[in-house]
Amino acid sequence: MTTLADLPVGASARVITVTAQAALEQRILEMGVLPGVQLKVVRQAPLGDPIEIKVMGYSLSLRRSEAACIEVEVQA
Amino acid sequence: MHADRHTVALLGNPNTGKSSLFTALTGTRQKIANFPGVTVEAKLGTAKFENSEITIIDLPGTYSLAARSPDERVATEALLGRVPGTPKPDGVIIVLDASNLERNLYLATQVLEFGLPAVIALTMLDVAQSRGITIDVEVLGKQLNATVVPVNSPQGKGIDALKAALHRTLHHPGKALHVPFGDEFTKSVDELHAAVCDLSVKLGFKPARPEALRLLVDGAGPFFDECEQVGGGAFTDTLQKLRAKAAAGSSLALIEAQARYGLIGGWVAQARTSDDDGKRTKTDKVDAVLTNKVWGTLIFMVLMLLVFQSIYAWAGPLMDGIEEGVGALGGLLLALVPDDMPMLHSLLKDGVIGGVGGVLVFLPQILILFLFIAILEDLGYMSRAAFLMDRVMAPLGLNGRSFIPLLSSFACAIPGIMGTRVIEDRNTRLTTIFLAPFMSCSARLPVYTLFIAAFVPDHGVGPFNLQGLVLFAMYWVGVLFAIPTALVLKRGILKSKITPFLMELPSYKMPRPKAVARVLVERGGAFIKRAGTIIFAVAIIVWALAYFPRDGAVIEKHDAAIAASEDEFAAKVAAIAKDGGFAEDDEALAASVADIEELTATHEEAVAATEEEIVDEAELEAALEERAAAFTAALLELKRRHGAAFEPAQVIYTARIEGDEAVAALEKQRDGELLAGSFLGIAGHAIEPAVKPLGWDWRIGMAAIASFPAREVIIASLGTIFNLGGDEDEESESLRHVLVDAEDKEGNPLFTLATALSIMVFFALCAQCAATLAIMRRETNSWKWPIASFVYMTSLAYIAALVTYQVASALGA
Repeated sequence: MTTLADLPVGASARVITVTAQAALEQRILEMGVLPGVQLKVVRQAPLGDPIEIKVMGYSLSLRRSEAACIEVEVQA
Repeated sequence: MHADRHTVALLGNPNTGKSSLFTALTGTRQKIANFPGVTVEAKLGTAKFENSEITIIDLPGTYSLAARSPDERVATEALLGRVPGTPKPDGVIIVLDASNLERNLYLATQVLEFGLPAVIALTMLDVAQSRGITIDVEVLGKQLNATVVPVNSPQGKGIDALKAALHRTLHHPGKALHVPFGDEFTKSVDELHAAVCDLSVKLGFKPARPEALRLLVDGAGPFFDECEQVGGGAFTDTLQKLRAKAAAGSSLALIEAQARYGLIGGWVAQARTSDDDGKRTKTDKVDAVLTNKVWGTLIFMVLMLLVFQSIYAWAGPLMDGIEEGVGALGGLLLALVPDDMPMLHSLLKDGVIGGVGGVLVFLPQILILFLFIAILEDLGYMSRAAFLMDRVMAPLGLNGRSFIPLLSSFACAIPGIMGTRVIEDRNTRLTTIFLAPFMSCSARLPVYTLFIAAFVPDHGVGPFNLQGLVLFAMYWVGVLFAIPTALVLKRGILKSKITPFLMELPSYKMPRPKAVARVLVERGGAFIKRAGTIIFAVAIIVWALAYFPRDGAVIEKHDAAIAASEDEFAAKVAAIAKDGGFAEDDEALAASVADIEELTATHEEAVAATEEEIVDEAELEAALEERAAAFTAALLELKRRHGAAFEPAQVIYTARIEGDEAVAALEKQRDGELLAGSFLGIAGHAIEPAVKPLGWDWRIGMAAIASFPAREVIIASLGTIFNLGGDEDEESESLRHVLVDAEDKEGNPLFTLATALSIMVFFALCAQCAATLAIMRRETNSWKWPIASFVYMTSLAYIAALVTYQVASALGA
């Protein structure tokens, strides 16, 4: 299973599922990261965590621990 | 003509230009409304349109109405008119960022379900345009069943059209948006709504349908707690059954998000055309530098250094200026007080003027920090700073946004605590507020300076100096205790219900000077109004404690001594005059004394100026010799002019200086004895048994109590109690000597290295700052936090000082 946390900077992917503790899952979904949505890893912070993704036309930063709750399918 | 009155709520995501829209609509007619029980606040303002007056409630920016904490619940409560003191809205303005339509529409679908008449303000069209995005306002409006008005608040564009649309809309009933959630889900919401409506009487209000929807999906939060309290097990059973039924094996949050984003996707497909070719936006290009591993880190560090340096050092001259200005104005005021009213004099000098100065002196630091924060926030850099620093703060259970407030607290906790508003998560914000006073602020420095200079030996330890090492250690004491405090808080009572670090990185924008200026005025004004009154009151109370009960016998005894000393001086002068063959009131003699006095004063001033000007020692010595020679020559010239009157005049002048010094010493002794007999002195004696194990006597205990309003007060208090007067500062040689020479009742030295260390550790950890507690009360909107902070820090300070003293004295310090 590939998660968002596994993707290198520059990779594009499609969200498969979001599996997290209820409140975190809800927040991730509300921010537009839901199954079927395309996203792209833009960069990581200098200390390696958190990462920045582009989703629904805006930039969202999230920790690797949070990104690990998002299962993705890498796109060419 | 009867004015038409309405109230509307202004809602939108963060970073959408909502605040500047609010200002464009209401101008300067704004006031801050505190919501009871929460740490967020709303602004109320009035917009005028033709003959109608519209009150606008600017609610905190949010991404969703899902509420896990009371802070997040406020938007819903305000929409339903349930917040005490805030009128019920009869319409809403929803702000949508055109460059980020989908995610902004998510909140809009939730708000439109309330069925209030709604107008949409479409912002950031310029940003959208630069990315090749065009939005068909007509189509979007039809889909949302609301008028969509493009606005550009900084330029004032679209504001009148928005008011006109609002005016029209408010006279037509709204229609609730129907989001197609699926039959089972919709039926479950209806059933749950009926169930909670049955609890109306016990709840004290009739729950709205969107609240039932939230309850079904969230299954937790403040509204759930309220229902559970009045509905008990029967309610939770119903809720669990309906949640299971509606979810049908899936996740309710997913069902909600998919239904809303599905609807939004359809809307956007029709209303928006985009030739966004995915090329890098301006923000992408700037971010490539500002969040770069090397450049980004470097720029961040330079910026932080600049912020810290400016609060720490640049605010200094401004603060001195304020203190001098207040002092000078106070002097003018004091001159109006008749001499026979010593209490009024003391109240004005030490209570009122000191209190006003004590409030205003914080303004430079607050304004400077907020100048930076406002510019960086407006620019969009604050979230990048949080992005860069998150990894450092995460182990403490905090996030990147806590970094700047805590860093600024090393200069002063007041602006630091006010700066925690950038932290979205309530519990992270409260933890950061709680930790801010642990950072060693600039007011502690004078205390360290005094005691280190007096008691820590000035010798080298390897490449370091022991005094420097102790100072360094004092700065780390607070941080050392802050770390476990943070861990305990964040794992315990302030555990965040969700991982708080899903953060939008908004597009960069040019900071708008007007918006920055508004933040400064708002923050400065809020500090003076809300915290200033408390700080001022504390200053008056402590003045009274140090002034009363004022033993008449003590005053009489000392005044008699002072009068005797003055008489003695007069007799001495008469004798000297007589010896020189002059009458006591001889004019030539008086003129000669006056000339000597003036010459000496001029000489002393010149010497002081020279000493300040010339740094080189040899050069200084030569210059001073030159001055001394000039002085002697001038004296000889005077002698030649005044003839026989000169010699006795010189003796009288010397005697007068001695007499003045004797009187001043007696007055200081009187003030010292009066302070010892004041309520503060009594309290000092009362706590002596408790502070004895810390190596303190009643005098240190009293000085510590006196410094609870502001820690630097300990220096003036020690000055007074050791009969040096209240104007001593940390650089004072005489205060250092007096402290070194001070003895306890058994005649042993009162201060040892161990005592000095225990005092410094106490001051490093104690919540001795009325201003910090007052601002904590304001920012958390409750007395609970300042009281908790006070009790916790004071206990910690006591225990740590106790351990320090016992260990240090066991080691022979």
